[in-house]
Amino acid sequence: MNMRKSLLPVTTYVRIDVKRLFRDKVAIFFVFLFPLIFLFVFGSIFRGDNDVSFRVALLNESDSTFSKEFSDQIKKNDIFKVDDEVTDLDLAKEKMNRGQIDATIVLPKAFGETKQGQNYPSGEAKIIYDQNNQSAGTTLSSIMEGIFKDINQKLVSTPTPFTVTSESTATKGLSQFDYTFTGILGFTLLSLGIFGPTSVFPRLKQRGVLRRYHLTTLKVWQYFVGNVLSNSFVGLLSVATMFVAALTVFDLNMRGSYLNLIAVVVLGVILLFGIGLAIGGWARTENQAAPLAQIATLPMMFLSGVFFPTFLMPELLQNITKFIPLTPIIDSLRMIVTENASLLDLGPQLAVIFGWIVVIYFVAFKVFRWE
Amino acid sequence: MNLLKGYSTIAGMTKPIVVLNDLVKQYNNKQVVKGISFSVNEGEIFGILGPNGAGKTTTLEMLEALRPIDGGSATLDGIDVASNPEKIKSLIGVQPQTPSFEEKTKLTELIEMFSSFYGEKVDPRKFLKEVHLEEKANSYPEQLSGGQRQRFSIAAALVHGPKVFFLDEPTTGLDPQARRNLWDLIREVRDRGVTVIMTTHYMDEAELLCDRVAVMDEGKVIALDTPKNLIKALLKRGFKKSQHVEQANLEDVFIDLTGKALRD
Repeated sequence: MNMRKSLLPVTTYVRIDVKRLFRDKVAIFFVFLFPLIFLFVFGSIFRGDNDVSFRVALLNESDSTFSKEFSDQIKKNDIFKVDDEVTDLDLAKEKMNRGQIDATIVLPKAFGETKQGQNYPSGEAKIIYDQNNQSAGTTLSSIMEGIFKDINQKLVSTPTPFTVTSESTATKGLSQFDYTFTGILGFTLLSLGIFGPTSVFPRLKQRGVLRRYHLTTLKVWQYFVGNVLSNSFVGLLSVATMFVAALTVFDLNMRGSYLNLIAVVVLGVILLFGIGLAIGGWARTENQAAPLAQIATLPMMFLSGVFFPTFLMPELLQNITKFIPLTPIIDSLRMIVTENASLLDLGPQLAVIFGWIVVIYFVAFKVFRWE
Repeated sequence: MNLLKGYSTIAGMTKPIVVLNDLVKQYNNKQVVKGISFSVNEGEIFGILGPNGAGKTTTLEMLEALRPIDGGSATLDGIDVASNPEKIKSLIGVQPQTPSFEEKTKLTELIEMFSSFYGEKVDPRKFLKEVHLEEKANSYPEQLSGGQRQRFSIAAALVHGPKVFFLDEPTTGLDPQARRNLWDLIREVRDRGVTVIMTTHYMDEAELLCDRVAVMDEGKVIALDTPKNLIKALLKRGFKKSQHVEQANLEDVFIDLTGKALRD
């Protein structure tokens, strides 16, 4: 059979399969709306820049000019979001207890007054925090210490032989959202690639639809390629909608090339859909496929950096995660979006992806059943 | 031409197109088809009858290259089924017991898809017209009635111009009007030169439609002839029906009252 004749089933199937998707409301929901909802939920959580900010109550009990200027500065500082409603400690405690504010800064009486025999103001600020929010308390203390250190330096100049400065390695201007976004992209491709085929193929088998295909001269590889292509197309559309939302609503900083992004998305769909195809192609019923789909997706969801970064994991786990199919996909997407990585830079990740593609399609071909 | 074909079949003048030779199928060391041999002639409607579990469907599935043949051989148009499954698939059309298609797909698209599976491009409307479904061209299969779906399924099974057409209990669950319509359709298919092999549980259907029938029981063919000859042979053995034979039956009444027009 010549090439053109053997590709006709593939092209015809892809064309009709994509058209069919747009007639199916449930499919449209899962391909376009569901990722968008996911994006808006997670996007709002991680929205904006990466500055840490604290909601605090500021109780200024002193009349000194220094303490007044100091409170004004704190109110202007981006790190603090001062709750102006709180004017006494009781209300502050209540709000801390409810988690409405993180901590309370108290400037006690005589704070900032110049003591006799001194030519500079002095005082001790107090930070009060709820025991459930210790990390906020300690972080806030060190921030305040830093602020006072600057002031002290100006008032009483003493030599400081040792200092420490910290610097973030991320390129400036990147927000937390930029990182989160690629995780959400990965999650979308995961659900598209695995939950779709593991429920659709067993259902088609039970209805005898695939048996009917098997009665024709359609070959397994033609059916596979047709499905992979139509799903890649759908995956790209889904990613494109998310990009539009991310760029317009969440001010995503896309630093890399869209061509590279498309390449990685397509490779990602091929790999993840292959997993779904292996499971759904093997299973005779949805009941057989569902637990396998869960077993395949759960580790990827939690270990591949969808919800939290892989570098937070113990080293042993990190070494394993690197080889979980979804990890190199998310890493590649992240490196393209945040670092403008080239396909060459992504060599190690792409190697893992290609390796998995070979393995998973070998398995999928072996275990595929038409009925 | 058709008249001549009818006679020539009986005279054994046309060539056999499907030949089974000692065909065996076993599951877990238990034979379900126990070495059956017969041949089907080109252009005839051949019925396979038998109670459930007799091996009818298994026999069909072996001829359709869906199940491996465990013993003996079968040829279709001179081609060995076991060693050329791909070639066989391009020569046959199959109507399953319960036709089912992917949803949200227009009938024209399904015809296009099925013909593409054989590497061919066809005009879908022409095929829909042949089964009187041209008005449903843009409908989805889930919107069709049972009879319409059967007709559509036949069109989909014939897109590649097969030589042999297999039907597995095609009229089960249809109303009398739809059944009659399907019989006409099957005859039309045969008149186009396609050999038809079908299974059925309805004896009236076999008697009306089939040129010859094979009766199977427990994996064996226990009788094979034209319906007329089989009846004659039974009468010759002294069989008498206990009831008086009426000139009409309830189905005739039903059709007389409700007409032959299709209801879907």
